[in-house]
Amino acid sequence: MLEAFEILSTSGVVLWSKSYAPVGSHVVNSLINDVFIEEKTQLQNTTNGVSPTFKKEKYTLKWRRSKDFNLIFVAVYQSLLHLGWIDKLLDNISTIFIDLYKTQLKGERARIAEYPFDKYFDQQVRELEDNATAGFVSDAPAADAEARKDPLASADNGGPPPPPPQAALSAATSDEGSPPQTPDIPRVSSPSSGHIITGKAGPGGRVSRRARKAANASATASSGDEKVRKGKTPKSGKKLRVWDADGLADEDDGRVLDYSAPVEDDDASAPAVEAVAEDTWGRRTGKGQFVLKDLGDEVHYILENADSEKAKSSAPSGLVGSGFSAIGGLLRNIVGGKVLTDADLEKPLKAMEDHLLKKNVAREAAVRLCDGVKQELVGKKTGNFQSVDAALKSAMESSLRKILTPTSSLDLLHEIDTVTKARNKQVNSRPYVISIVGVNGVGKSTNLGKICYFLLQNNYRILIAACDTFRSGAVEQLRVHARNLKELSARENVGAVELYEKGYGKDAANVAKDAVEYGSANGFDVVLIDTAGRRHNDQRLMSSLEKFAKFAQPNKIFMVGEALVGTDSVMQARNFNQAFGTGRNLDGFIISKCDTVGDMVGTLVSMVHATGIPIVFLGVGQHYGDLRGLSVPWAVNLLMK
Amino acid sequence: MSAYQFFESIATKLLEGSPFGIAIAVLITFGVPVLLHIIFYRTVASPPSSNFLLLGPSGAGKTALLTFLESKSSFAAKPKSHPTHTSQTSTLATIRLPVSVPIGSNKYRSVNDTSLKEAQRNPTKYRVKDTPGHGKLRGSQGLSELLSMSASKDAQSKLRGVLFMVDTAAISETEALRDAASYLYDVLLVLQKRALQRGKSSAKAAAEIPVLIAANKQDLFTALPQGSVREKLEAEIDRIRKSKSKGLMDASADANEGDGEDDILGSYDLKDTFSFKAFEDEIGVNVDVVGGAVKGDESDEVGAGVRRWEEWVGQCL
Repeated sequence: MLEAFEILSTSGVVLWSKSYAPVGSHVVNSLINDVFIEEKTQLQNTTNGVSPTFKKEKYTLKWRRSKDFNLIFVAVYQSLLHLGWIDKLLDNISTIFIDLYKTQLKGERARIAEYPFDKYFDQQVRELEDNATAGFVSDAPAADAEARKDPLASADNGGPPPPPPQAALSAATSDEGSPPQTPDIPRVSSPSSGHIITGKAGPGGRVSRRARKAANASATASSGDEKVRKGKTPKSGKKLRVWDADGLADEDDGRVLDYSAPVEDDDASAPAVEAVAEDTWGRRTGKGQFVLKDLGDEVHYILENADSEKAKSSAPSGLVGSGFSAIGGLLRNIVGGKVLTDADLEKPLKAMEDHLLKKNVAREAAVRLCDGVKQELVGKKTGNFQSVDAALKSAMESSLRKILTPTSSLDLLHEIDTVTKARNKQVNSRPYVISIVGVNGVGKSTNLGKICYFLLQNNYRILIAACDTFRSGAVEQLRVHARNLKELSARENVGAVELYEKGYGKDAANVAKDAVEYGSANGFDVVLIDTAGRRHNDQRLMSSLEKFAKFAQPNKIFMVGEALVGTDSVMQARNFNQAFGTGRNLDGFIISKCDTVGDMVGTLVSMVHATGIPIVFLGVGQHYGDLRGLSVPWAVNLLMK
Repeated sequence: MSAYQFFESIATKLLEGSPFGIAIAVLITFGVPVLLHIIFYRTVASPPSSNFLLLGPSGAGKTALLTFLESKSSFAAKPKSHPTHTSQTSTLATIRLPVSVPIGSNKYRSVNDTSLKEAQRNPTKYRVKDTPGHGKLRGSQGLSELLSMSASKDAQSKLRGVLFMVDTAAISETEALRDAASYLYDVLLVLQKRALQRGKSSAKAAAEIPVLIAANKQDLFTALPQGSVREKLEAEIDRIRKSKSKGLMDASADANEGDGEDDILGSYDLKDTFSFKAFEDEIGVNVDVVGGAVKGDESDEVGAGVRRWEEWVGQCL
């Protein structure tokens, strides 16, 4: 069952909502945060007709966006249920809502206006739900459209679960005629085998007319036939039950209409007209559905209009028309005010992608960025005197900025401060633990030295743990760093640094754990853990990281990646991000060797794109002081240059 | 030559007193002034030029406040705040100040000024721009908006004040406090830079953009009172200030050796603790903390929770 449906604007105001069960607003908020703003979840392209979904807690969310009106339609339902008609509902509701409130949405008071949309929505839900129970949802779109035309007819059918062979056969024999005819069959209460034969025999029109005649005969004849119906109703669905409860008075209504029915019937042979007659008849007998019927007609009118409009727009215009539009397009490209289409964007987007690739952005990230920009721009109007290229460039800039900007502030000192402040109150608690991982030779130890120097400047007592127990010379290398830093700190009279080493061949995770214990016992503020370099696609080496994370419990795990690496950066980031087991991810990247690549800083984008994890530091030189924070405008400038 | 003759023939036609010529003359005589009037009236009397900017972390209640004020000023039968979600785009809304709220410029008017009475019929309008508070969108929408609006010379888009919303119920947690404070730090830093660029002459002080820290959600049981919100924010900003001063430089710092002292909020002497009062004395940017609530005033009259914020807005006009 549907839990909630909301229509909200991109500015965050819920214009209309309906909830069948209380759903916390954090569910929709997390959809907005994760999908629209942070773009954490990679959205599959909707080429195969399956729209993207988002799962949060026990709910599944589906959505549609309307770019013209800046609206988002969100449907929330329980993940346990498989509701096939949600997509249809979203499509229909978005069309109807926009069509109904076009003027209001464009107006000044769009945010605060009342949208009496409940009845339309209820009608749609009922219709689609009934269709779903009748088994039409899985059908082809053609059958779906047919079902839409006569909701109640199929609703009647929906009551008793039709015998499987009958349903299968009728679906198989006639593609378009079957929905109107099936309701008649139970009413005549003809044996199902007979129906199968007629169904097989051919065109739906004939069958339904015959059925119609039978129905008419039964209606005019007496209440004897009525009894047959009544006898059947307990088995049937809710629509019929309502009709039953109306009692004798209602029979007159039905009969009066039935007199009119044959007249229509006789001159009507096309199934479509047949269906309409069926509709009125069914509605009349089901009392209290008058409003519903009007509404249904209105809704269907809107939907059909939208469909035909779409068909019209997709149909190619004449030769002259296309020539004019081409000239107009060229003019508008210079003057601005051009509505962008896929075709307009294709070439500049390709150029943009090449440009990004030249800047060492991984192909995957470049394609994704371009797709995002394309989706954002298609259907938009360019500004005055703005060419397509300029519009594309500014959109790309803003999306680069968005991808690089961290979600929360990354003030490392601030965080260390809060941890150490808590430590002062109670002795023997944990120091702040930072561990550094990465591929071989990217500069883990060097960056560890830089971070250590930076923290020493801020007067912390630091313990360096040598957990690279594998590569020969690794411990000695750190010892040299520690000696240098000790001397520097002594000279400037700030902080203190010590090396914790246990030689080679030991298990790195155990050494790390011991180091943290040693650090907390001896009152160190920060423990920096150096790890062995490992290839990201070597399962054996990567698996030991999970144990390491469990034993050392680092507050922060930073991964060092070099700016030189190209396409591989995506896989590196992804594999390291997943290596620490469930519930533990990387906390940030350090991009080293930025001074060696000039303006080709695409690795920054690739890594963040792959994981959504921010860049904390940049290594920009060989000295201890050559560590920098990331400046987003700087990076975007370099990339767009 | 033919062109000349053509024009000459037209001129002759117009001057010979035919009904056609007279009609054109009449049309021009009456039409041009009307047209000019319409053009100039449009440009002058178009939307109110007092802008306010709504800033603050996500979930503080910015959009809720905006929709509430909007529905309040639209003569709705019962103004209410619509349910809201995280914003992705900015919105601009024109809002009518309630008649009962005094306007700051009233002090320059005589008691007998007829415009005071006319305010009943002709309430003051102002515009509020709501910005998304999400961390990724702050820089591109909130802060850049603040920069452009505060720097613009154009009277249309001039900024009169900044409303910084804070969720007082969430601020007792360190994470939320840090988030709010770091955003506020960035906002104040922008205003400080602007103030210092203009020079320190006292005449300019009046033109500084005041900041209202709207301590929202006072109706909740867990909410902190406004005094303690002020203290908490001051302490946290002080901490951020200290760690910023010790922190690393940006990668862009190498390119342009900017003067680093601009980047620290408040006094250069880090021994001083930060306070909004000292900030006002030094920079001239006025910062107020006022409590209120967008929702939850069913028992009171409608809009009592935002009344004090509206008064602050009125003082800025």
